[in-house]
Amino acid sequence: MVDLATKSLLHDKLRFLITVSGVAFAVTLVFVQVGLFLGLMDNASLTISKIPAELWVTSHNTPNVDFAHTFPETYVKRVRSVPGVARADNLIVWFMNVNLPNGAVEGTEVYALEDFQRWGFPWNVAEGNLEDLRRGSYFFLDQSATKRYGEFKVGEYREILGRRLKIIGRTIDAKSFTTTPLTFLDYRVAQSLNPGDLRGNTTYILVKLAPGANVETVRAEIKRRLPFNDVYTQREWADRSRSYWVDSTGLGLNMYLTVFLGCLVGIVVVAQTLYTSTMEHIKEFGTVKAIGGGNGDIYKILGKHATIAAIAGFFLGALMAYAIRPLIYKIDLKLVIPNELAIAVFFGAIALCLAASMISFRKVASIDPALVFRG
Amino acid sequence: MTHMSILQARSIEKHFTEGRGESVAVLKGIDFAVERGEIVSLEGPSGSGKTTFLSILGCILTPTTGDVVVDGVRVEAKKLNAIRKKSLGFVFQQFNLFPSLTALENVEYALNVKGMRGSEARAEAERVIEAVGLGDRQAFLPRDLSGGQKQRVAIARALAGSAPILLADEPTANLDSVVGTQVLEMFRDLAKKENRALVIVTHDPKVRAVADRVVRIHDGRLAA
Repeated sequence: MVDLATKSLLHDKLRFLITVSGVAFAVTLVFVQVGLFLGLMDNASLTISKIPAELWVTSHNTPNVDFAHTFPETYVKRVRSVPGVARADNLIVWFMNVNLPNGAVEGTEVYALEDFQRWGFPWNVAEGNLEDLRRGSYFFLDQSATKRYGEFKVGEYREILGRRLKIIGRTIDAKSFTTTPLTFLDYRVAQSLNPGDLRGNTTYILVKLAPGANVETVRAEIKRRLPFNDVYTQREWADRSRSYWVDSTGLGLNMYLTVFLGCLVGIVVVAQTLYTSTMEHIKEFGTVKAIGGGNGDIYKILGKHATIAAIAGFFLGALMAYAIRPLIYKIDLKLVIPNELAIAVFFGAIALCLAASMISFRKVASIDPALVFRG
Repeated sequence: MTHMSILQARSIEKHFTEGRGESVAVLKGIDFAVERGEIVSLEGPSGSGKTTFLSILGCILTPTTGDVVVDGVRVEAKKLNAIRKKSLGFVFQQFNLFPSLTALENVEYALNVKGMRGSEARAEAERVIEAVGLGDRQAFLPRDLSGGQKQRVAIARALAGSAPILLADEPTANLDSVVGTQVLEMFRDLAKKENRALVIVTHDPKVRAVADRVVRIHDGRLAA
């Protein structure tokens, strides 16, 4: 079977390149926009996913993990007494100011626990021993802080809320949606830094269930005992934290809009080049009809043009997206491209290119084969 | 038993509507028939309606009134494609080859459209390409062929398969005199050899030399 579609598409290499570039541009735009969005969403719930707590107790209507509100720390005792709870600990998440050696003041997001080691948190420690956090005015600082705070070394001091604390460790990849650097320090130290808000208070209770315990049963009992708090599963809390940023910042709308525009530009470029190509090949299509072919034969040719352009454009676009990923990491952002996204974009590109070729379909349907007799 | 020509046209009229809604009669009641193995030259001045008539014979246009019977089948609008596919081969003034396909592929693709596939189509394409004397040019793209060679490919494409009727529209118009004569003689020999009917629309007086019959159209009617 002679493959007229492929041969005619590749016959005009410049046009093919323009068509593929249009698709590739759209694919890259979608990958980058959605990938950045997913990267930010990943950061928005990163700490939740890294702490092995099946349930989170929060103050009522806390919008997300970063914007915590306080409640009495003694509530943890009520939680510990609930059947099915293996472990429950207070966690403080709080924004504080850091005085830098150059005189600047920057924010930090403090995560404070009594026993970091037991919760396996933070999860990626490059330097230092988490056990040492309990021994005094110490803290761990994440590597990503260098962008805002400048270079730092373990053993140096920084002032947090006016008090000198020693850096005794360095973590990696501990980030929040707000991009505020994360610091990890002892629970009591955190309370002493901001006694006005935190003395006698916590912001969360982390709950680890006993083996075999039913999460809904335990949750119901905690809610019964703490009626003015909320209790979320890990997944619910992560979803809520992510949704907050999507809904309140317009980030979701921005992403959808950019993806829409990317697709639109891709469709327009592909539709325009395919239509121009159709017009230039109109006599060939007329010949196909004259020798006995029907509209279906020509639709197949156009459909194949669109599909080949989509596949080539997808791979070129994906290649470009992967190529710029290291650059995005350099500015402390993440480009997350899960397989599901890649598969969706692949089939989306084919569907959109086929949709773009529909304009040409209409033209083909109106081709008069008698045009083959015209000079 | 009544004799049935391979191609018959009875009382053919064709009207076109002009921009202001006026109906213009291009063909005004033509009766025409061609037999197998017969070569007919269809002549006439520009605007006489000969290309329109060829389009109707070729099932590309339908007449406003009148009947066309191709290879025993009465032509209806819904059968046009099928009849073209089965019974008709075309040769065009502008060759109308697919520029991205080689000479052989141009012929093979036409066979694919007619429903022939694989090695059978390839073998048939090679046979007709050899028959038109382009065995050594079968892998060439149209842009690498001369005008005469392109028209030979077009003739090969029309001959490929078993279409009993071949229709040619000014096949020598873009060829010089010598090449035009060669192409016509080759076309005639192959059509005769395979007992096909051939209708050639032309202004070229050389066609008369190869035709069994000359028919003239003037002002939408067959001239005596």
